[in-house]
Amino acid sequence: MSPRREPAAALREALQERHVIVVCGAGGVGKTTTAAALGVQAAMLGRRVLVCTIDPSRRLATSLGLTRLSDKPRALTLARVAPDAAGEMSAMMLDTKSTFDALVHRYAKDEAARDRILQNRFYKHVSAALHGSHEYMAMEKLLELTLDERFDLVVLDTPPTLHALDFLEAPDRLMSFLDASVLRFFLRPYFAAGRVTLRIATRTGALALKLADRLLGLQFLQDLSEFFLAFESMYDGFKERAAKVHALLRDPSSGFVLVTAPNAATLDEARYFHERLTEKQMPFVALIVNRLHPDPAQEPDPGGPLPTLPAGLDAKLIAVHRDMQALARAEAKTLIRLEVDTGEPPLLVPELETDIHDLRGLREAGDLILGARTLPRRRVRRAAGARA
Amino acid sequence: MRDNSPVVLDRLFARRLVFLSGKGGVGKSVVGAALALCAQKRGMRVVLVEVEAPLPVARLLGGRPGASPIHPEEVLPGILTVNLEPAAVMEEYIKRTLHIQMFVRRIVQSPIYQRFYSAAPGLPELMLLGKIMDLTDDRHDHDLVIVDSPATGHGLSFLKVPFAASAAIPIGPVGNAARRVISHLQDHEHTALAVVAIPEEMAVVEGLEFLEQAQREVGIAAEAVILNQCHEAVFDESEEARVLELLAGEAGGRLARGVSLRGALVAARRQMRRRKLTRFYETRLKRATPLPLLRLPRIFAEELGLDDLRGLAARLEAHP
Repeated sequence: MSPRREPAAALREALQERHVIVVCGAGGVGKTTTAAALGVQAAMLGRRVLVCTIDPSRRLATSLGLTRLSDKPRALTLARVAPDAAGEMSAMMLDTKSTFDALVHRYAKDEAARDRILQNRFYKHVSAALHGSHEYMAMEKLLELTLDERFDLVVLDTPPTLHALDFLEAPDRLMSFLDASVLRFFLRPYFAAGRVTLRIATRTGALALKLADRLLGLQFLQDLSEFFLAFESMYDGFKERAAKVHALLRDPSSGFVLVTAPNAATLDEARYFHERLTEKQMPFVALIVNRLHPDPAQEPDPGGPLPTLPAGLDAKLIAVHRDMQALARAEAKTLIRLEVDTGEPPLLVPELETDIHDLRGLREAGDLILGARTLPRRRVRRAAGARA
Repeated sequence: MRDNSPVVLDRLFARRLVFLSGKGGVGKSVVGAALALCAQKRGMRVVLVEVEAPLPVARLLGGRPGASPIHPEEVLPGILTVNLEPAAVMEEYIKRTLHIQMFVRRIVQSPIYQRFYSAAPGLPELMLLGKIMDLTDDRHDHDLVIVDSPATGHGLSFLKVPFAASAAIPIGPVGNAARRVISHLQDHEHTALAVVAIPEEMAVVEGLEFLEQAQREVGIAAEAVILNQCHEAVFDESEEARVLELLAGEAGGRLARGVSLRGALVAARRQMRRRKLTRFYETRLKRATPLPLLRLPRIFAEELGLDDLRGLAARLEAHP
């Protein structure tokens, strides 16, 4: 393997220099906490950082010890946890629906068109739940925030998708859904002023329409076609924004941090995600593995004679040592495989002995991330050799 | 707070359908498998449903890779499993609705369908729920369906989809399907919800949010909270004091089998702190909800096996 920069140093450098950090990973790996912890570190490095979370369950709020977080950036006081922080930190939560509404306001050609969309039954009930709309709006918001002069770094926490990759693909899916040209074909009779006729170019088209009518009913198809009709004039505006987001995410001043936990399922996700990032030419920054169990056998032995222990305690100590070691070794084995496959040395962040739910905890978690070790080079090389 | 799990299990198993919900990574599928084993022990026939699980827990029960993405298969006597694939469920639905088999393939393979299906909001979730309700209606084949709800992370969004669909689609089969799902969800004799959490801040906070949403927004009957991965008491009070004292005194040396005392002490301190957190979150859950709380221990194994699952099932049966 070619000599490379220490991954922790690369991450620190990214926090110092880049303008966008997107924190990705499957659900439940500590992504939000990681995003917030990196935010604190960036502020300590002198950045004016905004941490934006999308999660409707207010996880970041919990991490920050807040009960509520508005969808407007809110400045946090770091004085108590990082008195020498030269920068500033703000946090906010994305509100999918209001971001979507704001886009409609921005791109509707007139008031009537705007109201037709905002009042549309399909839009009202489904826009926030639209497949991928969280992801799309997250990126939309990101674009807006990068233009906000109060901040020189935006750390974006991503929606808790089942698969980390959904985040990258959802916007394309949404854009293709909103692409009226396809639905225009599909819904042609309804586009024609709601008149139901079956003048359709192909047999498959007619069949598809008949199926849709049978499944969804006339009313829904009318709502849908009204929505697309009203949306059509805005589509170019949306598309232009999407192209800007596309460029932003590939810009060298952006970077992706991939977060994972040391279990087989999430590591597989991470491996696949890394592949796709590379393929899409998106700038990768670091791979963070949270909640690692340290191997107790690695603790340096102070030596000396064994002190006397109460009866039974030695057996219990041996048992907890065995459990922890079994876990640590299993994790190390999977992680070595991950590094061999991706070529990225993961940053190993040990499981904390307490929970993080305040700024102090975030500060400490960030210290741990930037000070994290990687796997022993020797073992990775050996595994890579065995694989080859 | 009631704390009698055989009664809790009786109440859950009296339903046709049990949803397990909780933040990603709390081990819902393992809990589902343990519950299925409990039901099996009572002589019930049970279907364990997973959704697009990359590593389905079914395989620990004997499920084979490449099993049908829509039809449950019996993996142990009395236990059936299925790992539902939304696209396959959708196709099955179209086949049933369209009647004309020869057109189904053309529709399903047409680019319009592909595009619409991949982006249509909530459609896969709605189809999955419809499929699950069909399974519960099949009384000849089995007594109970346990669902490991997909960890979308958006709270209970999976269960809220039929409400949005019902409002958006006033007539037609899909709208009607949504309304059928809602009536099953809200039928307290038919469906129950158990929330799974682990003793960590986020998992507990979200678990409590799920409970609140379940009652307020979905109207489903929440029956239990299952706290998974609990660290149990290993050391008594005097032993804990001794461990901390030895750590502070930089004690060294080797225990039996060459185990380093220092390493064991560090592992012990970690265990003690995690144990304390477990107790803390138990108390917090008890205060926050009147629902019964079932606890399952943390298992230290690289990969769980059937024996571990049986052990967890026994714990659910014989809750202190």
